[in-house]
Amino acid sequence: MSPHRVRAITVRLLQGFRRDRRTVALLFVAPLIILGLLGYLIRNTQVPDVGLANQDQGPVGAAVATALEKSSHLHATAINASDGDAKLKDGSLAAYIVFPSDFSQKALGGVIAPEVHLEGSQPGQTGAVLQALQQAVAAASVGRPAGGGVVQPKVTYLYGGPHLDTLDFFGAAAIGMIVFFLVFVITIVSFLNERSQGTLERLMASPLRRGEIVLGYMIGFTVLALVQSVEVLVFCLYVLKVHNAGNVLLIFGLEALMAIVAVNLGIFLSMFARTEFQAVQFIPLAIVPQFLLSGILFPVSSEPQALQYVSDVLPLTYAVNALRDVMLKGADLTWSSLQLDVGVIVAFIVLLIVAGTATLRRRIA
Amino acid sequence: MKTEEGQVSDGYAVDVNGVEKRFGDIKALDGVTLRVREGEIYGLLGPNGAGKTTLIRTIVGLIAPDAGSVTVLGRKLPNLDVLRNVGYMTQQAALYPGLSVAENLRFFAAINGVDGDIDDVLHFVRLDNRKNSVVSNLSGGMRQRCSLACALVHKPKLLLLDEPTVGVDPQLRVQFWEDFRRMADGGTTIIVSSHVMDEAERCQRLGMIQYGRLLAEGSPSEVRSSAGTQDLEAAFLALAGREVES
Repeated sequence: MSPHRVRAITVRLLQGFRRDRRTVALLFVAPLIILGLLGYLIRNTQVPDVGLANQDQGPVGAAVATALEKSSHLHATAINASDGDAKLKDGSLAAYIVFPSDFSQKALGGVIAPEVHLEGSQPGQTGAVLQALQQAVAAASVGRPAGGGVVQPKVTYLYGGPHLDTLDFFGAAAIGMIVFFLVFVITIVSFLNERSQGTLERLMASPLRRGEIVLGYMIGFTVLALVQSVEVLVFCLYVLKVHNAGNVLLIFGLEALMAIVAVNLGIFLSMFARTEFQAVQFIPLAIVPQFLLSGILFPVSSEPQALQYVSDVLPLTYAVNALRDVMLKGADLTWSSLQLDVGVIVAFIVLLIVAGTATLRRRIA
Repeated sequence: MKTEEGQVSDGYAVDVNGVEKRFGDIKALDGVTLRVREGEIYGLLGPNGAGKTTLIRTIVGLIAPDAGSVTVLGRKLPNLDVLRNVGYMTQQAALYPGLSVAENLRFFAAINGVDGDIDDVLHFVRLDNRKNSVVSNLSGGMRQRCSLACALVHKPKLLLLDEPTVGVDPQLRVQFWEDFRRMADGGTTIIVSSHVMDEAERCQRLGMIQYGRLLAEGSPSEVRSSAGTQDLEAAFLALAGREVES
């Protein structure tokens, strides 16, 4: 073991980094971006919007409602019970709670039974609402002689239900995410190979048009991605038995669209990398924010407003939303929300094809 | 014969006129004017970094010149269709390592709009028996031959070879030059860059380049006599020295 030789390797390594500013920047900037994003996201999560309809003829309903309004775990507003379902459907409420006319009466008998109507497709929010309700009941009971009754909320779900587990909620998002990220990585690396092995130069010195290169790549990788999508889908639906209320072909179609987005994003981003090393660095930068902000873990509506703007320009946001709509809510193409998601994804594809084709010429010389 | 823009230049396969190209502060091409006759082997000679590759990439339309014009096979660049008749062999053997020799050849034939026979070209570069070998398993010399074959597979009228004999053993180098000779005899125009002076003797005409400028042009004997030297290496050094002094 020669310290001299070990030192030579160490010094050589650091010297290389000194000239590779992009890698150094990534090494020190990326952690701040990723952790900053995560911290901002979690610390500033907006609480779910919950509607309250107090029909109680006694005092307990009002007391619990007041406690809920004070709760920091949700944002409560008074509504009419008859409007509740419509508000769940259009997404303006995550849940609404009805205190029926005999609420106080039953509470005196020791049974506290509010009606909780949950939207049901957002896993984190369901738990938050029920937990806040428990706390509010406890807070409202303090100092009351009838306090300490059993909380037995009557819970109904607009979509899904209590039989859905965490995998059912994340499975829908994961199907889109897995296809998107894997296809993206494969594309970016193989397009870069084309550049580094010199074959791209040959292609550019042939009568091939740039659009033909981008389109050829797109079709090739999409075929590969579709085969992968079939596998992912079959595994999720039939082996993991992830809940699906919608049409399997529609899910497959959405995956195909995501694959096309991923291919074109890969081609586009590979234009900005000179080496495979640099291309690999794009992967965390492109993937982590999309993973955090596309609604996979936290609903987009619960993000701080500033990050919602970012979420709105990420293609994965629309895919996750569309896949959840189909698999959890049973959406079909007559739903305007699904039409919007599909439209936005198609617009992303067109944009990326144009951008990829345009940058191809710039980077070849 | 000097011609107007876009018209057929009689007898010239390539007409480079006052081409300039800058990369930042570096003048890669500084007013290069040269003409290559149909069916001749034209050697671009110069040291590393002289601008040979930049000039070749300009002739295949990969680089747009800042000034001047390039006419290839009678068509003024940029022109995508003319590339159908141009073959280009890059400095490194640019091949798909995961594909077989035949698959690479068929691919490059297809993107140039030609389908079908690759056996002729395989025979020409003596790779008949390695047709189905995967490129990553080939030796360096075989890869170089396969790369040449990929530049030839669509039977181009103009062939641009960027230092094709770098890293090639003497035996294969002799074979390559025999191949080039045979192609030129068949009517193909060849532009070949090199920094090896003994290869230059095999070209019909030479252009000597340094610092992006054409120092001298003519047949090997013309270049020698204009420099007043016995061999091309000395001629090049003499011409380059003159350029530095002026």
